Amino acid sequence: MSYVIAWVLGLGSLALLVLAIGHLVVALVLIIPTWRICTRAGFSGALSLFHLVPVVGWLIVMAVLAFSTWPNGEASGR
Amino acid sequence: MGLDIAALMGFFGLTSAFALIATVLAAWMAWRIVEKAGIPGWTGLGAVLLTLTGVGSIVPLVLLWVFAFMRWPSDEPMGALPGQGARPASGPVRPSSPQALPPPPTALPDRRGWRLTGIVSGGSVVLAVDGAVAGYVLTGAPAAHPGELSVPDPSVGRPHARLLIATGRLGLEDLGTTGGTFIDGARLLPEHGPRDISAARAIRLGSIELVLARA
Repeated sequence: MSYVIAWVLGLGSLALLVLAIGHLVVALVLIIPTWRICTRAGFSGALSLFHLVPVVGWLIVMAVLAFSTWPNGEASGR
Repeated sequence: MGLDIAALMGFFGLTSAFALIATVLAAWMAWRIVEKAGIPGWTGLGAVLLTLTGVGSIVPLVLLWVFAFMRWPSDEPMGALPGQGARPASGPVRPSSPQALPPPPTALPDRRGWRLTGIVSGGSVVLAVDGAVAGYVLTGAPAAHPGELSVPDPSVGRPHARLLIATGRLGLEDLGTTGGTFIDGARLLPEHGPRDISAARAIRLGSIELVLARA
């Protein structure tokens, strides 16, 4: 019985590790272009690190870019 | 058993509701973001709605990269000098002499000059900017002629930025130095071209903060 529990725990840990690494890879693919977008808009590039927050991180980044005034100026504001 | 099914259905229902709301929100926000960059809003909306089609999320991801690295219409300077439109980040142009800004849409009635004050390692620096010259070059080297303003600090480039004066307005253009130029904390990149700083409070050249005030 203890072997079964050890296997389940081991597989669970492995699955979590794979999920975490996958999440980091996907976040990195999103962070690189978003960092540039934030910088060009006049925000700190670190804002793009919200992509590391699971599920809602990308919504936070988009909301900041969409609803705040860009320090470097906006085309619509001219 | 019935409870399990109900819990499962509830979970799927909540997930679907979140996905639906998130998609609508994302489409709306993408519309606003691309519009701020000067691109038609429907392109952002379309990019997000593509996730609902069979192409999956790879196309919007590619479009995100394209959007990040393409040239935005908002990068075009408001009053671009002739032959001085938005430039790519690489290969900044270092003009040899200052030039005047073209007339802005509305001239400011206040024709006083400006004063830039800051602290450098050797003491304080006070730079007078008036309309006597059409533009100045801000440099970390000692000023060699009347068109140069010296901010003696290793973090300030040689030259670092240009100040341009026209019809009561003051413009600032970064010349692509590594120390960077900031307007009220916001980074000014060379591809932004000249930006109106008449209403700004502070500019930063490298690590030197200069307070901007009317003379």
